[in-house]
Amino acid sequence: MIAYSPYLVLLLPLFAALVIRLFLHPFPRFAISVSTLACLGSFIGSLLLLFSGALGSTVAIPAIPWIEFAGLKADFGLLMDPLARLMATLVSGIALLVHIYSIGYLKEDPHRSRFFAELSLFVFSMMGIVLADNLVTMFLFWELVGLSSYLLIGFWFDRPAAGAAANKAFLVNRIGDFGFILGILGVWSLFGTVSLVDLPSSLAASPGGWAVTAVGLGLFCGCLGKSAQFPLHVWLPDSMEGPTPVSSLLHAATMVVAGVYMLIRVLPILELSTVTMTTIAWVGGAMTLLPALIACQQNDIKRILAYSTLSEIAYMVMAVGLGVTGPAMYHLTMHAFFKCLLFLAAGSVIHGCHEVQDIWKMGGLGKRMPFTAIVTGIGTLALCGIPPLSGFWSKDEIFAATAHHPALALVSMVAGFFTSFFMLRLILVAFGGSPRSEGARHAHEGSASLIFPMLILAILSVAGGFLPVNSFLGVAPEGTHVSWTLWVSLVLALAGFVPAFFIYRVATRDPLSIPILQGKFYVDEFYNRVLVANQDGLGKLADAFEGWVVRGFLVRGSGVMARAAGQGLRLVQCGQVQVYATVFILGALSLLWWILKSGVR
Amino acid sequence: MEQIFFWMLAAGLLISAVTVVAVRNPVTNAVCLVSALVFQAALFITLEATFLAAVQVIVYAGAVMVLFLFVIMLLDVRVEVLGKFSWPKIAGVGLVLVLALVGLPKLSSAFPFAGEVLHWGRAKVPGTAQDLGHLLFSAYGPLFLTTGVLLLVATVGVVVLCRRDTEA
Amino acid sequence: MGGEITLGHYLVLSGALFLIGLAGVVLRRSLLVVMMSLELLLNAANLALVAVGRFQGIPDPQVAVFFVITVAAAEAALGLAILVAIFRIKKTTAADQMASLRF
Repeated sequence: MIAYSPYLVLLLPLFAALVIRLFLHPFPRFAISVSTLACLGSFIGSLLLLFSGALGSTVAIPAIPWIEFAGLKADFGLLMDPLARLMATLVSGIALLVHIYSIGYLKEDPHRSRFFAELSLFVFSMMGIVLADNLVTMFLFWELVGLSSYLLIGFWFDRPAAGAAANKAFLVNRIGDFGFILGILGVWSLFGTVSLVDLPSSLAASPGGWAVTAVGLGLFCGCLGKSAQFPLHVWLPDSMEGPTPVSSLLHAATMVVAGVYMLIRVLPILELSTVTMTTIAWVGGAMTLLPALIACQQNDIKRILAYSTLSEIAYMVMAVGLGVTGPAMYHLTMHAFFKCLLFLAAGSVIHGCHEVQDIWKMGGLGKRMPFTAIVTGIGTLALCGIPPLSGFWSKDEIFAATAHHPALALVSMVAGFFTSFFMLRLILVAFGGSPRSEGARHAHEGSASLIFPMLILAILSVAGGFLPVNSFLGVAPEGTHVSWTLWVSLVLALAGFVPAFFIYRVATRDPLSIPILQGKFYVDEFYNRVLVANQDGLGKLADAFEGWVVRGFLVRGSGVMARAAGQGLRLVQCGQVQVYATVFILGALSLLWWILKSGVR
Repeated sequence: MEQIFFWMLAAGLLISAVTVVAVRNPVTNAVCLVSALVFQAALFITLEATFLAAVQVIVYAGAVMVLFLFVIMLLDVRVEVLGKFSWPKIAGVGLVLVLALVGLPKLSSAFPFAGEVLHWGRAKVPGTAQDLGHLLFSAYGPLFLTTGVLLLVATVGVVVLCRRDTEA
Repeated sequence: MGGEITLGHYLVLSGALFLIGLAGVVLRRSLLVVMMSLELLLNAANLALVAVGRFQGIPDPQVAVFFVITVAAAEAALGLAILVAIFRIKKTTAADQMASLRF
C-alpha cells in the first residue's frame, strides 16, 4: 500500500474538489480549508518526492492497469523522473500560493466554494498531466485541464464577456487538441506504444519521412492550443475575464506551460524530424516578438501581462525547437515565479482600485500601494532579464542556445527590447503620476493573504536564479561561458527602458497610437471575417440542406407519402359490408383462377 | 327416372333460390327459402343421403327458418326500400356473374370424374343414420364434441347479445 | 331430357345456386335477406360435397355436411341475435345504413 502513496499527490485535490462539490457548497469556510489543505498536502508530497529524487532514491511506483486492447496499452501510472518531480513541485507550490491569495481576493464572493472546487479540480488535472506516464493518460488530463480552465474563466458567468471568453478558450483549445490526439494516434501507429517510458527505446523502429514530421506537428498542435501560440493564441488575452488568481495560476504560471512541458516529454519524437524542430523554433521565435509588440499598445493591465506571457512561453517553445530542454524548463520555472507574481500584483492593484483594470485610469499607485509597486518592480526586472534576478539566468541560457541561429537570436532579443518597453510603460502609467480615477484615489493594500503569496514569489523571483534547478533536473550545468548573446540581449533589454521612460514619465494619456498594435494584428478580426463567416455560410448551407432535404423531403416527404397512401386506402374502408364481400369474392375468384391456371392435375 | 327427378328438383331449387334473392317481401323470402331447403333435401335423397335429407328438413327448414320468421315478426320488417342504384356495385356483380357462367362448366369439367353417371340402387355409399352415426361417434368423435361446445357458446352468445340491460 | 345425369350436372347446379346466393349477399339491402342468401351459399357447398361423396363412394363428405349444418344453425342464431341487437340501436336492417366502421 505504501508503494501507492505517491498517488496521493495526485488524488488529494480531486478528493477536495469532490467533497466540496458534493457536501461543502453551502459552507465556504470549510470549502476553502479543504481545498487549501489538499493543495498543501499535494505540495508537501511533491516536495518530498523532489528531494527524495534529488537524493537519488528511486521508489518504483506500481502502475494501475487501465486500457489494454489491440496493441494499445495505457496503464494508469505515475512517471517520476526528475522533470516530473520538479514540475509537480512547481505546480502544487504555485497553486498553494494562489490558494492563499484567493482566500483574500475572493473574500466577498458568494460563490467562492465553487471557485475553490474548480481550483482543486484544476490542480488535480494539472498534476495529472505532469505525472502521466503515457500519452493517453496525459491527453485525459489535458482535456480535464481544458475543462477546469473553461470553468474558471467563466467563473463569473453572469458577465457575458466571461462566458464568451470561456467558450473561446474551450473551442480554440479543441482545435489544438484535435491535432494532439491525431499526433497521439500517429505515435501509437508508428511506434506501437504510447508509454513515455518505452517511447525513447522504440524510436529505433522509426520509419522517418513525412509521417514522423506529421506526428511531430500534430503533437505541436496540442502545444499551440494549450500554450496559446500562433495561430491559436487568441484565447489567452480573452481568458483574462476570469478572476485574477486564475489568470495567475492557469494562464501564466502552470496551465499554459503544459504545452511546453508536453513538448519536452515528446522531444525524442520531435527530434526525428528537422522540419518539425525548425517549425517549432520559428513559431516560438516569431511569437516572442509579436505579442511583445501588441502589449506596447494595450491598456488593460491584465492583457498586457497576458501578451507578455505569450511572449515568454514562446521563448520556451523556441528553446524546445532548438533542442535544449534544460533552458526551456529553467525558464518555465523562473517564469512561473515572476509572472505569477506580476499577476498577483495586478490582482492586488485591481482589488485595491475597486475593479479598475485600465492602466490609464490608475496612476499614483506607488504611494498608495507601495508594497505592490515594489513587487511589481521586482517582477518586471525579473521578466526583463536584468541580472541577477531570476529571469536573467533562464533567459540567458535560452539566448545562448540561439547563438548559432542569428535570425532567431535577433528576433527574440528585439522582443526583449519591447518587453522592457511595455513593462516600464505599465509601471510608469499605473504607479507613477497622480490618480486619474476615483478608484485609484482610494486604492489601498490588500490583506495579509494577498501580501504573503506576493512576498514569497518576490523572494523567489529575486533569488530563483540561484535555485539548483539544473541539478533537480539531473542536467549538468553547461559551465560559465559568456557568449555574445548575453551582452546583446542585456543591452537591448536595458535599452527598452529608455524610450518608455521618456515617453510615459508624465503622460496622462497614451501619446503613441499605432492602430495595428491596438488591433492585435487583427487576428481576431481575420478569424471573424474569414473563418467565422465561412462557418456561418457552411452552417446556413447545412441548415438549408437539413431543412429542405432531410426535414422536408426525407422526413416530411415520407410522412406525407404515408399519409397520402392512408388517405387513398381509407376510401376502400367504406364500412359497407357488401362491398367488402364483393372484394372478397373477386379475390377468391382470382385465387381460383390462378390455381386452375397453374394446373392442379 | 333419375333424369326426371333431377331436373324437376333442380328447377324447383333454382326458382326458389331466385325468389329468395329477388323478391322484396321478407316473409316471401323466408317461405321461398324453406322451399329451397326442402328441394335441396330431396336432391340429397337422389344422392342417397337419406339421413342428411332428414337433418336438412328438421334443422334447416324447421328450426333455422322458424328462427328467421320469428325475427321477421319480432322486428316487424316491412317491404324493403330499394337502395341507391350503385353502378360500380352492379358492374362488379355483373362481371362476376358473366365470369362464373362462363367458368362454371369449365370448373365442373375440371374434375376428372365429372362424367360419372348417376344410377340409383347401385350406391356404393352408405347414407343411413346408422352409418353416419358410426362415423360420428368413432372417427369424428372429438369433432362432434367440439361442435357441441360451439353450439353451447353460440347459445350463450345469443343470450348475451339479446339481453336488455334493465339497469340502463 | 336426353342424356344421363352425371356428377357434372350436380356441380353446375351447385355452382348456379352459389351464384344466386352470392348475388343476394352482394345486392340486397336487407340484412335478413343477406343472411338467407348466406344459407343458400352454404347449401350450394353442401350439395357439391354430398354429390362428390356419392360419386366417389366415400361417406366422409356427408359427415362434413352434417357439421356444416350444425355450424350453420349456430351462425344463423348468432347472426340473427346480432341483427336484433343492431336493430334496437339503428331501427333498421338495411346493410348500407351500417357504415359506422369507416373513417
